[in-house]
Amino acid sequence: MKNKVILFSSIISALVITAIFALMQPSQPNQLTLRFSPFVGKEPLVLHHKNYPNPGGEGIFTVRDLQLFISNIRLIGRDGNYNEAESYHLARFDGDESFYDIVLTNINAQDYQQIELGIGVDPSANGTITIAGDLDPNSRMAWSWDVGYKFLLLEGALLYQEQQLPLVYHIGFNESYTTVTFPISETITSNNRLIKFNVDVLQLFGKAEPIDLSVISTVKFDPDHVALIAKGFNKLITLD
Amino acid sequence: MTMSKKISVTAILIAVSVIAALYFFVPNKRSTTHLMNMNVPFVFGRFQIPQDNPLTKESVELGRRLFYDPRLSSNNKVSCATCHKQRLAFTDGLVHSVGVSGKPLAFNTMSLSNLMWGPQHFFWNGRSPSLENQALQPIQHIDEMDQDLTLLVDELAKDASYRKLFDLAYGGVTTSAIAKALANFQRTLISANSRYDQYLRGEIKLTTEEELGRKLFMAHPDTKASLRGGNCIDCHSQFLTSGFSTLYDGFSNNGLNSDDNLPAGLLEVTGKEEHRGLFKTPTLRNIAVTGPYMHDGRFENLQQVLNHYNGGIKRSRTLSPLIVEADNIPKTQKNHISLNLSEDEKKAIIAFLHTLTDEDFLTNRRFSNPFNSEVNDEE
Repeated sequence: MKNKVILFSSIISALVITAIFALMQPSQPNQLTLRFSPFVGKEPLVLHHKNYPNPGGEGIFTVRDLQLFISNIRLIGRDGNYNEAESYHLARFDGDESFYDIVLTNINAQDYQQIELGIGVDPSANGTITIAGDLDPNSRMAWSWDVGYKFLLLEGALLYQEQQLPLVYHIGFNESYTTVTFPISETITSNNRLIKFNVDVLQLFGKAEPIDLSVISTVKFDPDHVALIAKGFNKLITLD
Repeated sequence: MTMSKKISVTAILIAVSVIAALYFFVPNKRSTTHLMNMNVPFVFGRFQIPQDNPLTKESVELGRRLFYDPRLSSNNKVSCATCHKQRLAFTDGLVHSVGVSGKPLAFNTMSLSNLMWGPQHFFWNGRSPSLENQALQPIQHIDEMDQDLTLLVDELAKDASYRKLFDLAYGGVTTSAIAKALANFQRTLISANSRYDQYLRGEIKLTTEEELGRKLFMAHPDTKASLRGGNCIDCHSQFLTSGFSTLYDGFSNNGLNSDDNLPAGLLEVTGKEEHRGLFKTPTLRNIAVTGPYMHDGRFENLQQVLNHYNGGIKRSRTLSPLIVEADNIPKTQKNHISLNLSEDEKKAIIAFLHTLTDEDFLTNRRFSNPFNSEVNDEE
């Protein structure tokens, strides 16, 4: 009987040791998820299949792709800040989900009161061949190493007067890099550790005097037009 | 049971549990040699090798042998190298490849180089998610190599030299080992010493014409900013010159067909109508030796390719807006899509494309037929 007890306890101890090692596998640290959902005004953006009215003119438009860089994420707290390393995220909406998530790991969101995001690529990384985060000089968002990155890519088509006009907005340039700041509420951090953002593409085409997409259907390197669209970066992202 | 026996039983059990625990931390070991001397340019960016198929010297040696072995086909006459000839940057110079059935295939043979970068969806329509998965498909395709994999494993296992190579690389002859070895040999097919690479490394200067071509290649035209461009970079990345690697960014409809005969392309894989007519953007590395061009081999030479982008584009509902909109003359695209490049500009782009030819790659003995030479390929 005593032998059985020893044998049994040996097996148990062996299992416990195995379990301890197994539990030493990486566990889920504290996370904060930033969720970005695309909109056209108040309507959710549906790629390819939905039409939206031309903000400043005749006709309707469709979007085949929307991609933008969200960079240099910083959480600001009374007792110090958190700066994400290699913080370059290419938000895109053509995957399995209609939204794009950035997950910050190993942080206590309760320690922070504000979040800062960069829209685009900061001048020190733009125009280089640095490979960090989603920055990739061989990607669709790279123009070429001496020109830098597209910060935002919006492509689609405008249907008006029975014709189809291509829409191409490739917005870059160092001057367009914009940082935006939002408060982090306590309910967000203590409950679901999820901050929801909306990305409203209509903000790119002006509110007071909306742009007629048939007049400015493409913007790439013309500095005045780039500045006109990038002006909207300030209000492009809002808290849900 | 004596005390010492009890202690030893406990010790054995603890030892077993520690070994079991180590399973979580230590990867499987075999006495293989990792390839350390692979020379990869920084500008190509990140790459991934599957965890279950480390890039070992043994696997590459086996893969090279398999690549050149006609026993991989049902009639023992067709090897991978039949359609993928090194001198032609692993293409065959034909409009449509021909395998064991003698029936031309629907597609043009793709060049094999720098496969660890660019879209990790293989074949023109992207139907294969890995090089391992890809490797077995032509072997089994009725018109290509038409081989039964079980028979192939049996055949190779009867060959003592293969048995040895398989044992060293993968611990035995299996279908999965065939796929992994072929994938690893193809991973080593790196082309990174063309004149363009030498230019990027600051070793040479391009000629005036090549430099004009390079600038045009790298620019999307914008008449509002007086920028002339050949628009190549909208699909072909600046250093790799392949399609883009993220999701399906490396697939495009480049205006080869109109709506009434638009082939399925990527739609066959994703089931999405917006992907109809999109095909994989190939690398342009060694493009001067990989004609005929396009997924269906419709263009004989680079002049015809440039003429396509300079006035031959056919409209369809999934045609890239970047192609429709790219024009070096303001607002002429209403009825006829063209880059409106001059003859000299077209010539310059072709001159730049010739700087992508990498003689070292086309003649590197490590990529050549191992059955033809007994030379020592080690360096």
